[in-house]
Amino acid sequence: MLLFKLAFRNIFRQRRRSLLTAMSLIGGYVLSVFSFSMSEGSYNNAITFFVQDHTGHIQIHKEDYLQRPKIHKSIPRPDELSAILDANERVASHTLRVFAPSIAYSDTDNTPAQVIGVDLARERATSTLAAKISAGAYIGPELDGEGYYSAMIGAGIANNLNIGLGDELILISQGADGSIANDIYRVGAIVGDRSSADRSTVYLPLVASQEFLSLPDAVHEVSILLKDDGLAREEAARLQELLPEFTVDPWQVVEATFYQSMQTDKQGNVVFLGIIIFIVFVGVLNTVLMSVLERTREFGVLKAIGSRPAKLALMITVETIMLTSISVLIGVMLSAPLILWFSLAGFALPEPMDVGGVLMSHLTGELSLYVFAVPMFLILGFAILISIPAGIRAALNSPKEAMRSH
Amino acid sequence: MKSTSIQSIPTLAQLLFVLLSTALLSSLASAQESAVDIIDAMEELYRGESSLARMTMIVETPQFQRTMEMESSSIGTEKAFIRILAPRKDRGIATLKLDLEMWNYLPKINKVIKVPPSMMMGSWMGSDFTNDDLVKQTTLTDDYDLTLEETDTEYRITLVPKSNTVTVWGKIDYNVNKELMIPLSQNFYDDSDRLIRKMEFSEPREISGLLIPSRMEMIPINKEGHKTVIIYDELQFDPPEIDESIFTMRNLRSRF
Repeated sequence: MLLFKLAFRNIFRQRRRSLLTAMSLIGGYVLSVFSFSMSEGSYNNAITFFVQDHTGHIQIHKEDYLQRPKIHKSIPRPDELSAILDANERVASHTLRVFAPSIAYSDTDNTPAQVIGVDLARERATSTLAAKISAGAYIGPELDGEGYYSAMIGAGIANNLNIGLGDELILISQGADGSIANDIYRVGAIVGDRSSADRSTVYLPLVASQEFLSLPDAVHEVSILLKDDGLAREEAARLQELLPEFTVDPWQVVEATFYQSMQTDKQGNVVFLGIIIFIVFVGVLNTVLMSVLERTREFGVLKAIGSRPAKLALMITVETIMLTSISVLIGVMLSAPLILWFSLAGFALPEPMDVGGVLMSHLTGELSLYVFAVPMFLILGFAILISIPAGIRAALNSPKEAMRSH
Repeated sequence: MKSTSIQSIPTLAQLLFVLLSTALLSSLASAQESAVDIIDAMEELYRGESSLARMTMIVETPQFQRTMEMESSSIGTEKAFIRILAPRKDRGIATLKLDLEMWNYLPKINKVIKVPPSMMMGSWMGSDFTNDDLVKQTTLTDDYDLTLEETDTEYRITLVPKSNTVTVWGKIDYNVNKELMIPLSQNFYDDSDRLIRKMEFSEPREISGLLIPSRMEMIPINKEGHKTVIIYDELQFDPPEIDESIFTMRNLRSRF
């Protein structure tokens, strides 16, 4: 206890120096937390965006449909799968989808189009499709008076074919049985704008797409939204065990390219922060070494009256950690309201960004224990590291030489 | 490419071959002629001057089996018209061939789509027959040099593309039953002499006074489990209802 008391008092012997050191530590900490919050926040925004836009937390496919999509790699009797998922209390919602490339025609023009058949009610609860509609209304699964199904088309298709709400849309593709899939649909809604990711997509009611592609009672993809977004991997593994005949992947696998580049970028971020903190600590090291140097005589006296060298080294370490801890504590108090504001309000972007049909008007940060803890441990780790050479220096001095110096 | 390459320095083997073939020239000439006759007779079998046929096409793949019934009309080698009668969802889909051009009509969307030259090797209605099979197969004796071999029961004719012609196949083996004068099989090879697909003829039946194999099987070698069978249910030659008006865009577009 005496050791701590001594160490605490030593910090306040040179107040101005301690204050300057603490300020550089506090600055380094706040900067680190802020940068972490921004990187976590923007990545989490991106993840939330595509999870809700189309990926979901978990996807189920037949065989390797994800890598090599073929129309016949389909999940038969999706109702059975739906019943299992509806009964799972960890699943918030799920949706069924059918995919096919196609050519879309109007009377005069044609353009390539990606057909996605969706279970309309389930899709609405699982993805942001309904929110992306820029004209018209979310369609229903029934035939209209003339016997046509409705379709929701990307703005790019509407533009290329020069068609709008209520117009006829002709689709041609290849059916699962090798036949020529061809049918007419009525445009019920336009999705997104010409820069959206789904500008070339045609959304059909699930039943219409199954008829179109001669794919009765089968789907290509089941996309699942979980209640707890942190459990995607665990739940995927659990479902995989339950459904050995299908391939179950968490979003980290579905969006593997994104996930890997995100991991790499985050690691790079940690290294970069490490460098900032290292530079801060070169200053701290100077402080500690100075305080050891000017107390050479004092250490000599302490040793002469019987202090053990290890005790002296420990005292230097405790002093450094104490100073660092106080700085970090102040840093947390300063950065907490800043990060709170950053995560709730964020910076208003000069111009709202359109990310795949969803408008993002603010750059926001992440508020989590992780954001505060990682820089804290980095700084404390460095503090212990640099107190070692200073401690050794204090421990190794000889009382006779030391007491002679001034 | 294959037929236009010229080697300026003949090898010894080539010189020997030339000497030998000159010696055999007279017999070759007559063999060539009869080979042409045989192939022409085979190609003529299914067509006559004009013809009207009802057939069943069965497409088999590892994933599905599909059966289509269709009606086909033709005049000579230049004009053909095929209309799908069943299944219901494909009913009325039609193909018109005039000389070297081809159109498909899709009644559900009321649209005529021209088959572009790049799609000629594409599948016809998801079968193992290509669009090219429907359009071009008729010019075998114009585009290929023929060599005839005889066994006790078969004529074996090898078709190699003539120089300066652009053909799809590097070689075709055409086997004919000598006694019945009906085709037995055709093997199609690519430029590197690899077998790509084979067509087998079987179940000969007497139709309109002629003995004709009523079943044809097309088997692609490189696609395991794939096969297309055509069965002739009816075949009439020079029927009165066939006239030029069938082979028009107007007829192609007519609702059925």
